[in-house]
Amino acid sequence: MSFFELGSAKKAEIEDRYDIIIIGGGPGGITASIYSVQAGLKPLIIEKALDGGQMNNTQAVENWTGFTSIGGMELSEKMAEHARAFDVPFFYGEVVDVELEGPEKAVILDNGRRIASNVIIVATGSNPRSLGVEGEETFRGRGISYCATCDGHFFTDKHIAVIGGGNSALDESIYLSKMVKKITIVQNLPKLTADKLLQDKLNATGKVEYIFGSVVESIEGDTQVRAINIRHQETGEITKLPIEGIFVFIGLLPNSGFLKGKVPLNGFGYILTDANMETEVKGVYAIGDVREKEVRQIVTAAADGAIAVYHAARTYFNG
Amino acid sequence: MENKLLPDNVTKQVKEVFSALEGPVKALFFRSEKKCDYCNTAEQLLNELSGINGKLTYEVFDVDSEMARKYEIELAPGIVLLTPDGDDKGVRFLGVPAGHEFGTLLQDIVTFSKGAKPELSKESLEKIEAIDKPVEIKVFVTTTCPYCPRAVLTAHHIAMANKNIKAYMIEANEFQEMSMKYGVSSVPQIVVNDRVTFVGAIPEGQYVEQVLKAL
Repeated sequence: MSFFELGSAKKAEIEDRYDIIIIGGGPGGITASIYSVQAGLKPLIIEKALDGGQMNNTQAVENWTGFTSIGGMELSEKMAEHARAFDVPFFYGEVVDVELEGPEKAVILDNGRRIASNVIIVATGSNPRSLGVEGEETFRGRGISYCATCDGHFFTDKHIAVIGGGNSALDESIYLSKMVKKITIVQNLPKLTADKLLQDKLNATGKVEYIFGSVVESIEGDTQVRAINIRHQETGEITKLPIEGIFVFIGLLPNSGFLKGKVPLNGFGYILTDANMETEVKGVYAIGDVREKEVRQIVTAAADGAIAVYHAARTYFNG
Repeated sequence: MENKLLPDNVTKQVKEVFSALEGPVKALFFRSEKKCDYCNTAEQLLNELSGINGKLTYEVFDVDSEMARKYEIELAPGIVLLTPDGDDKGVRFLGVPAGHEFGTLLQDIVTFSKGAKPELSKESLEKIEAIDKPVEIKVFVTTTCPYCPRAVLTAHHIAMANKNIKAYMIEANEFQEMSMKYGVSSVPQIVVNDRVTFVGAIPEGQYVEQVLKAL
């Protein structure tokens, strides 16, 4: 047996009120919780799935200062342990609604529970973007996947397509190469955008081929995915590629749906903030991948968390 | 002496989680002497857990026995949890609850020791309590899936709310024949009464609606 993860079994008994509610337990949220405790405040982290969030899907993190290379799950665990050492309570559930008017804020969980606070920090990150092509909805759960660690084993010795050519697409492909027979990477641009290091690692597996400058036009199959139709962007030519599975890593969408109409979002759904990470709604902050910004990295999410709490402590708690 | 399954740091964390145990919880463990790659692992896991806190005990049965038929367990390894009063609440595990599902098993054990009260919203609870037909929820998972525990826990709490409902965690890699039969290629995949199938860890309200759709 590989590993034993306690996950949400480590949940805390929660109270009805905290100083700061942090929605999301990724690197931004966890860092914010640590700075909150250090500012003498009582934070609560509400996490939907797993401590560390999307970091868990990264095989190797090689740009978190202090670690030449560390597994995403291991880094997640270390960060959560750090927060727990400061007695930060973690609760596991999904926030379905928020009350942001007035000085007292509140979140509503999917089990109906209401928890109040003076300040809310939204650190909900983002989710894999779907392709939005014909056949995608039909074959969701029948050969299309967005999570390599979850579903990779179902594709042992099979030929799969990976859609996307960025860092997450290649990182996940390296993981998948351990079990699948062959990977065809379909990239819309004429070249990969992933770091050179990842490209070299993936090429060294000898299991990968590339189709550049092309996008998925539609997905075909019967009870399972059987083929994708690929359109070359310049020539418009459509080629049918028989495959037995599709993994989609074409970027991310912010998890901000529950905030629509409550805080200003940009056209893609990213939350707009000022330089202190505060939204137009006083006492409501956004940090990490869910915020409109240029660089979405673990280290920038953590920095956002520190900046938000520094400002909130001074503005709303006389810190 | 066999090698220990749980490393020391995990044992320490389990001890902390189990400090919340109130009444005794009994696990019925179903194994097979025929081909069963994971039966020994699952039994050893229960053995180590009950060694950490004696409020958890387990009893071993064959998957081909009267008890297995009574509790509707057809695959091994299988685990059924009972409350301190000996009540079956329809909560089942098929396959080893390792990886991310380990936390699911621990949380269920703690919940059972407190009488297996379902933690659902008032609206969900009312809808689930009103169900008067048998419901079987299968949640296919892999132990490497971080989104799966929530899908299993929601199903288990739905089962706790109504005697007509049984909810199975099924480790898809261990039971490949069954996974193939249900066309599992992405987890969590949830199948209700073999009629309604959905993929992903969705919020409780939507989850309950899917269950009602299968009636």
